[in-house]
Amino acid sequence: MQKIVLNQTWKGMLMEVKRSSRTKTAVSVVIPFVLLAVMIGYVFGPGSELIEFGVVLPEISIEKVEFVDSEIIATVRNTGPIAVDVVMADINDRIYPAAIEPDKHLERFESAIVRIPFEWNEGEPYAVGLTVDDGTRFEKQVDVAVPSIQPTAEMISYFALIGTYVGILPVLIGLLWFPFISKLSRSKYKFFLALTVGLLLFLGVSTAEEAIEISANNLSDIFNGILLVATVAVVSFLGLNYVGEKLRKRAGASKLAGPVAIALMIAIGIGLHNFGEGLAIGAAIVLGEAALGAFLIVGFALHNTTEGFAIAAPMARTKLMIGKLAAMGMIAGVPAIFGAWVGGFVYSPLAAVIFLAIGTGAIFQVIVSIMRWIQNEEGKLSNSSVLAGIAVGMIIMYITSILI
Amino acid sequence: MLSSGQKMVIVLAVVSLGFAGYLVFPAMYITAQEQPEVFVTHSGAVVQTTGDILDPVYTIQEVEFDPEKYLRDFDYGKVSQLEDGTTLREFTIIAEDDKIMEIAPGIFYNVWTFNGQVPGPTIRATEGDLVRIHFTNNGDKEHTIHFHGNHPAEMDGIFEIVGSNGGQFTYEFIAGPVGVHPYHCHVMPVEEHIGHGLYGVFIVDPKDGRQHADEMVMMLNGFDTDFDGENNLYAANTIPFYYQHHPIQVSTNELIRVYVVNMVGLDPINNFHLHGTLYKYYPTGTDMVPSEFTDMTTFSQSERGILEFEYEYTGRYMFHAHLTEFSEKGWSGVFYAKDSSQPNMEGYAYGS
Repeated sequence: MQKIVLNQTWKGMLMEVKRSSRTKTAVSVVIPFVLLAVMIGYVFGPGSELIEFGVVLPEISIEKVEFVDSEIIATVRNTGPIAVDVVMADINDRIYPAAIEPDKHLERFESAIVRIPFEWNEGEPYAVGLTVDDGTRFEKQVDVAVPSIQPTAEMISYFALIGTYVGILPVLIGLLWFPFISKLSRSKYKFFLALTVGLLLFLGVSTAEEAIEISANNLSDIFNGILLVATVAVVSFLGLNYVGEKLRKRAGASKLAGPVAIALMIAIGIGLHNFGEGLAIGAAIVLGEAALGAFLIVGFALHNTTEGFAIAAPMARTKLMIGKLAAMGMIAGVPAIFGAWVGGFVYSPLAAVIFLAIGTGAIFQVIVSIMRWIQNEEGKLSNSSVLAGIAVGMIIMYITSILI
Repeated sequence: MLSSGQKMVIVLAVVSLGFAGYLVFPAMYITAQEQPEVFVTHSGAVVQTTGDILDPVYTIQEVEFDPEKYLRDFDYGKVSQLEDGTTLREFTIIAEDDKIMEIAPGIFYNVWTFNGQVPGPTIRATEGDLVRIHFTNNGDKEHTIHFHGNHPAEMDGIFEIVGSNGGQFTYEFIAGPVGVHPYHCHVMPVEEHIGHGLYGVFIVDPKDGRQHADEMVMMLNGFDTDFDGENNLYAANTIPFYYQHHPIQVSTNELIRVYVVNMVGLDPINNFHLHGTLYKYYPTGTDMVPSEFTDMTTFSQSERGILEFEYEYTGRYMFHAHLTEFSEKGWSGVFYAKDSSQPNMEGYAYGS
């Protein structure tokens, strides 16, 4: 009974709100917030004795370690629930005089640079430790000390070259499949379009995996790595969906618009993914993992020709538009260069995770678009050539990923 | 005009970008100090910074415990004579376990103290004296004082647990044997009670005394400030690197006698190495004949001895653990030997 009465009261209130003016609406939005703030202030605020149990432990994370001339530089962030002072620095558990900039007091989430003068040796492992005011020591292991890469013109062009090899050229090579795809029969074409979906599914999962891996290895628990990836991926998925919808509407009724818009979205999604690849290569080179770097360059280059194919496939039923195709190749490939720069010069694990999560959302958005497009163009989805295409696409990606 | 949906999208985008930007690049908001500060590295390089200096090397430390004072501070107790002519030395020792002390610049640690300090006071008596310790436990935990040396079983501080918040006990025994001994709390877990600082030095002098010398006490200790089973800091007399930044002033050609006691827990051994000269080493100080003439002595937990040496040349001489890990985590210092022939120098010339 009470429930019903309550329900009716709510309904009545809602009706009233609807009828009232905008200011009243605004007030009705604000009131619950005010009450909530008062309650939180009362329960948790100063003078409250409700929550005075347990011990609050400080936590800091050393996010990055750089080796420069006669100095080791650590980037530290307060990832704990309380403000801390960083008071001591050590290398390999030996205390050294050091400096912290801008200052030693770190509020929550605040970060600082710790400069430790130290004659380090190239190629040797080091542990960098920082102690906070309650005596707790936090450590970051570096497997190999390598001079940190400065953004000189030489290094910038070096990374640009690598980005070109990994991103642009393979994608453009992949686009050369265009004539082949355009000559295919309808069912075979469907198969190759579905193949693209398989390729993208694989890329989406691998991008998400990489984002989660980086967050697990380099980000403090406070960032809730997996949830950060999930949130950013979903937001990027929704955002790109919105943009994609606009794009399609603006393109109007033109028959061409559909395929071109989809190819463009594929290119954008792949571009974000390639940004992640560039990031990985740049970071590997910076971290001194030359073998891994070289490995990634070859691997990604082979892998990325399939991405050119993915862009070419939806446009294959339209007439050949070389300019548009090439532009899309660039959209998909050029971000690899930016990724290599970011990864090489301003590597931040948090930024990397965010970029990769955006890429994940973008790729899944593209998958949905293609599936919708196949459905519109070809009827149903559960068609044998479509299913086979998706499966073969994933298998191809898996095999190329373990072979290299 | 933008639709409300579009506005929403823009607001969302701006807010999330701003938040992400703050998280990724918060260090961008650098508030540079007007005056850059300068510090000197261990290898002598001078480094400038706009921020704060960690481990200020050549500035006066403002830590609560004064190693300078502790070094040569001997507590002989309240002295009186018994009817039979025996000297009675009475001491009052109060244990506490709630003090937070700055044991290194900026590092605050919960020390458990005898008379408010770590190490506790250096208790000194002559062999044969009656030593009476009025012990009060003002801590929240049970504590005792266990003296190394000769005494009846019920004065051993093991089974006679002294209750918290005002528990009392009087330890009474004849001082002996001659030498340097530790005293410490013996309530289990002993590692914890010692690790937090409940220990001190107990010196028993021979009846006819030792040769005049510049005497000092070095308690080798360490602190596991994050309770991970490894010491974070080591020192002679609690404060890491103290005597390195504030050299111990000594005179050339004057006998220096150092009472060294090792109370470092968690690590099985510690050691002592002296630069520029060698010392006569008397293990536990119980024998008047040195066992060694050396510059390196290894100490197991609670092992101790007396070092006697003098400097011929003026200058700065390091003394430190030759376990480099310990020395580079604070257990290192410097003797600054000055010319004893200069006027205004206190002390006694050896052999004069």
